[in-house]
Amino acid sequence: MKATRAIRIATLFCLSLTAATAQQATAKIVRAANAFLGTLDAKQRQSVMFGFDDAKQRVRWSNLPVRMVPRAGLTMGELSAEQRTAAFALLSSMLSRRGYEKVQQIVEGDEVLKHNERDNPMFGKDIFYMSILGTPSEKEPWMLQFGGHHLALNITIAGEQGILTPTLTGAQPALYTIDGKTIRPLGQESDKALALLNALDEGQRKQAVLNYRVADLVLGPGQDGKKIQPEGLKASAMNSQQRTMLMDLIGEWANIVHESAASARMAQLKAGLEDTWFAWSGNTTAAPGHNITGYYRIQGPNVVIEYAPQPLGGDPSLHVHTMYRDPTNDYGKKVTGK
Amino acid sequence: MKRILAAGLLLGHLGFAHRLDEYLQSTLVSVEKGRAELEVRLTPGVAIVPMVLAEIDRNGDGVMSEAEQREYADRVVRDLVVTAGGERLTPRLVSAKFPTIEEMRDGSGEILIELETVLRSDVRNRSLTFENGHMRQISAYLANALVPSDPGVRIAGQYRNSSQSVYRLDYVVAGAGSDWAVWGCAGALGLLVLGRVVLSKRAPKFLRRAALEG
Repeated sequence: MKATRAIRIATLFCLSLTAATAQQATAKIVRAANAFLGTLDAKQRQSVMFGFDDAKQRVRWSNLPVRMVPRAGLTMGELSAEQRTAAFALLSSMLSRRGYEKVQQIVEGDEVLKHNERDNPMFGKDIFYMSILGTPSEKEPWMLQFGGHHLALNITIAGEQGILTPTLTGAQPALYTIDGKTIRPLGQESDKALALLNALDEGQRKQAVLNYRVADLVLGPGQDGKKIQPEGLKASAMNSQQRTMLMDLIGEWANIVHESAASARMAQLKAGLEDTWFAWSGNTTAAPGHNITGYYRIQGPNVVIEYAPQPLGGDPSLHVHTMYRDPTNDYGKKVTGK
Repeated sequence: MKRILAAGLLLGHLGFAHRLDEYLQSTLVSVEKGRAELEVRLTPGVAIVPMVLAEIDRNGDGVMSEAEQREYADRVVRDLVVTAGGERLTPRLVSAKFPTIEEMRDGSGEILIELETVLRSDVRNRSLTFENGHMRQISAYLANALVPSDPGVRIAGQYRNSSQSVYRLDYVVAGAGSDWAVWGCAGALGLLVLGRVVLSKRAPKFLRRAALEG
């Protein structure tokens, strides 16, 4: 009896500690948002702020370059050094360390693409946009959008919750070197998926690998809230090691957001793991140190993840689009009701 | 200063960031009791935009008129062979949205065509098949079923050829016609046979008497 009571008290303590940590994270984010807004003049502030339920702005994101699909808000290029520092401090406060690093690597990759394309103004780190929907608050819901070519972060803050869906990450080139260091912004998404596929036995693999080509994202931009029929191998048919690998792979998206929000999200996704599917299409091998060229999808009650290499303009291992959704809670609709 | 050595220099030219030489046609199928909706999104890659535009802007005046848009949408519908239970269906065009010519030339233009078709609701196990033959030589396809919003409809399986240009959806409608029809027919037949046996001279006397008195 005493032990049960002690466990109950410890659980309550942990829960209240988690809630307190999440609330602290929100408070920190709101401070960073207000600090950023404080650096802007009235005109800039008008450009960056939108209504929380501005339906047009919510869906103004894409994998495509901003010249092809215009975004709104403020670009990083039009900010002063002080304003840009504040903008990135805000972004950093909303993301985990690895999440922020991943975002920076995607942005840097676009700068590399610009360089490769003879300084094509269609690309580059200066044309990534930031916008704020709603008023930064510890209680009322609001949203930060940050994105451009191959990146669309939609982060809804609702009290202690941080919701990262829908979010698009991508990379081109998906492998580059800076100062002699090789960078693969979405390398873990590739390597962990291939490791999981290779950990399956023959029967499981037969179920997971689809016998048709998937040419692109099925639920990319413009497909909010849609839920397709899952296919492939169900996690309930995986062993515990394979399920751990699947959760670890899912974490590459779920852990982009700051730690306390990510931890709540991972717990939710773990609870639905038995009903989560893993499907693969295309090439099942990869050259060492390179990304896969096969497509895969993870789909559960509260998640859809797609990884879609693009055979456009060359080697598909160098050009990747990924999508991370919660069809039940895109833009935090389930939590905010808006 | 950072020294950037792009992998592109080592691994070949990367090309641009958007679809080039494929006409992506993505279909989402939504099945309900007695009807199905098909949403077809058509995205031409920049290299094949002139071919697609030539199919839409038939008079070549650089404008996609309403009549030309309608005619093209009708052609897309005609190029989709939709069958259910072996019968060819005639889907109805519900709506067609076209991007601007500039968006298409940029590679960001997406044509959205919505169709609907009536399905028989008196059969429990059904299959809906479609074959997309629209501009087949340059197209890439995606075909998927949405999870039915009606809990009485369940997806039983999806089957495709390797390019997804041919797609079959098997689904089950709970409490649909076949149950009632089969059991109803069986019950009626059973009653007829029983009546015949009861009233025949070979039936035991107590049965005949009971039948006539009761």
